[in-house]
Amino acid sequence: MKFSLPEKKLPSKNTQRPAKRQHLAGGLNAANNDASSDSDKEQSLTAYYSSAISIANTPEEKKRRESRSKRFEKGQGHRAEINYLKQKNAGAGNLYSRRASALMISKSFDDSGSKAVEDIDWDALTVKGTCQEIEKRYLRLTSAPDPSSVRPEEVLEKALLMVQNSQKNYLYKCDQLKSIRQDLTVQRIQNQLTVKVYETHARLSLEAGDLPEYNQCQSQLKTLYAEGIEGCDMEFAAYNLLCVILHSNNNRDLVSSMSRLTEGSKKDKAVKHALAVRAAVTSGNYVMFFRLYEDAPNLNSCLMDLYVEKMRYRAVSCMSRSYRPTIPVSYIARVLGFCRTSDGNDEDSDGSGLVECLEWMKAHGACLASDDGGEIQLDTKASSSSLYMPEPEDAVAHGDANLAVNDFLTRTSL
Amino acid sequence: MAYLSMGEAHRRITEYLNRFSDAVSFQDGASLKQLLSVSSNSPSLLSLADSLNVFQDANRLIKQSEKYSQFGEIIAPFFRCMQSYRTGNLLDAYHAFEKAANAFLPEFRNWESAWALEALYVVAYEIRILAERADRELAFNGKSPEKLKGAGSFLMKVFGVLAGKGPKRVGALYVTCQLFKIYFKLGTVNLCRSVIRSIETARIFDFEEFPKRDKVTYMYYTGRLEVFNENFPAADHKLSYALMHCHPHNEANIRMILKYLIPVKLSIGILPKDWLLEKYGLVEYNNVIQALKRGDLRLLREALQEHEDRFLRSGVFLVLEKLELQVYQRLLKKIYIIQKQRDPSKAHQMKLEVIVKALKWLEIDMDLDEVECIVAILIYKNLVKGYFAHKSKVVVLSKQDPFPKLNSKPVNS
Repeated sequence: MKFSLPEKKLPSKNTQRPAKRQHLAGGLNAANNDASSDSDKEQSLTAYYSSAISIANTPEEKKRRESRSKRFEKGQGHRAEINYLKQKNAGAGNLYSRRASALMISKSFDDSGSKAVEDIDWDALTVKGTCQEIEKRYLRLTSAPDPSSVRPEEVLEKALLMVQNSQKNYLYKCDQLKSIRQDLTVQRIQNQLTVKVYETHARLSLEAGDLPEYNQCQSQLKTLYAEGIEGCDMEFAAYNLLCVILHSNNNRDLVSSMSRLTEGSKKDKAVKHALAVRAAVTSGNYVMFFRLYEDAPNLNSCLMDLYVEKMRYRAVSCMSRSYRPTIPVSYIARVLGFCRTSDGNDEDSDGSGLVECLEWMKAHGACLASDDGGEIQLDTKASSSSLYMPEPEDAVAHGDANLAVNDFLTRTSL
Repeated sequence: MAYLSMGEAHRRITEYLNRFSDAVSFQDGASLKQLLSVSSNSPSLLSLADSLNVFQDANRLIKQSEKYSQFGEIIAPFFRCMQSYRTGNLLDAYHAFEKAANAFLPEFRNWESAWALEALYVVAYEIRILAERADRELAFNGKSPEKLKGAGSFLMKVFGVLAGKGPKRVGALYVTCQLFKIYFKLGTVNLCRSVIRSIETARIFDFEEFPKRDKVTYMYYTGRLEVFNENFPAADHKLSYALMHCHPHNEANIRMILKYLIPVKLSIGILPKDWLLEKYGLVEYNNVIQALKRGDLRLLREALQEHEDRFLRSGVFLVLEKLELQVYQRLLKKIYIIQKQRDPSKAHQMKLEVIVKALKWLEIDMDLDEVECIVAILIYKNLVKGYFAHKSKVVVLSKQDPFPKLNSKPVNS
């Protein structure tokens, strides 16, 4: 008897549109540890397995191997890798020019823009900087760095302060921070300043909805925290958890992230909040979700932003099936976070929440009607068959949201 | 280590070489496999290792005769492996074994019948075990552990060799199970997909032909994968198969299967008998089951918190958490039964505030909005038949079967 079982289909959540600010969300999965799709080869069995060996040695597979071993190691490996690299660095001074040029010849710089500043092998190029400029644009290094163009730590501290106090826009700050990061990397400075720089950049990225950049910073921070360097590790543990919750459809990733939390971190306010969000998302408890959204510590709400649309749709779908005959839209506006006010209460004092909610409902095919008292109600029975998720109107034609720079530029003010 | 003379060492090494070549000549798989099981710590292999460490020039002995040297590529690294293993050098032992294994595989492929399959199983098993130990040594020394991954790559090669029309193909499931163990340990379970696809869709394989032991192990792991994917009917099917075909005396294995099968059964509304939990020491599920029976949300939450680490590690936490809805259903049903006793004509209408009160009595503090939301979800997922009237804040229950049983189907997602 032949044994066969139908393959489980992917949940439809995958195809729903991302929230508005999520232009550059495509890169989010790139930095996650688990390469969730293995190749769907149509080749014959033996051919597949004999080619498995050649796959095993491609750069992508090597990278995946690296991240797999990191998970296996649970943090030890990070330390190990840093120590290992430091040993390699010994005696670099003597071989400096020879190794530098050898590196230039052998390295192929990936200019896709998604390669992190830190991915380049800086071992042989460590330098002590003398540049005194607080403001410096980011110029990707294509040759051995000239000490006079690299800023020493004292100057970088001032540079960070400058960026934090600057009123200029995200692109400017991002550029300055990348430049600071490069100077730190080149001089192999890994201390509290480094952590502060990455934390600053990560927070700015979150606020701007720049997830690929956020991911780069988050992975550097993980390494730095694992080294024992002090920083806001709880704040970022919460962000990390929210990323897994809100983006990964993979229960295993979620469970392993949760199991890696220490007892201490579970008591932290931000982490507790993230865990509560997790519970709300898993059970579809929209009332809890939007309460947590309203009262989120740090930048947890920026990450929740990415799920608001999905949660609202889930909520209204649920309500359409369970309520009869109608629900007042004012109630829906209240519980689904349309009436956010700065003083924390959810009274829609100027009526703007209701208006926004009505627009949202119409955009999603809801059937509305006025009752005798003039209040607008959701006709639940009719809506249960007319609700739909609209196509994202700001989707880029070629599909790579990372390249929608123009649109991004028009959104940020100078 | 007792004193070993050069002469005695020489004799023992030669004895091994003879046994090896005889095993191959007479196609004696049972003997061959014993000659390769490094981690079995058998007296003969340990004494071989001691002899090798004393003699130090085994390669010369191998080259002495064509009878031995034809297997030199396998035996020489195997000897190095035994030496390193004996002196506790597990990384070197792994490297040497990997070499020997890679030399063994083409020989195996050339041998006509499946006589050496048991020996191949030993090679597959040993490479995984030695890789795990090597990785532990690496981690201990602050280095990155990557030998188990390497072992996985080797096993893929072995799978390729077995995936043919001949009698050797029944070995493929054993190798698959070794791969599962590696992927589960590394946390790269997504890699299981391709092997599973090969086993289940390739025409050369007939699942029933595989040895029973391997089928049980296979169903156990694939069942666990279905649990991760929350595909409960499939998980139930596979884990139940494993349970049914597992040897009744193998209590440890039965316990492992039940650890995953119980949450699955709970998710489709089937509760185990108390004695089952006691017999196999699965007491962590006691309170979960009590909570389901009583509709006691507080007890469920307490149970999840008490065993949180254990449930997270085994990966059943989310499955158990989802039982909350069933607990709510039970609670509402109890309220309904009480209302029916008091006034049957009005029983089908349940005020929201009554539910809030019941929860408060369980020391769960939820306000009207939140309880309304839960009720909406229960109706949406068909755990409650009826509808909710927002204005009057009343749940209007269907007059017929307002709390449908799950009937072996999971709650709608």
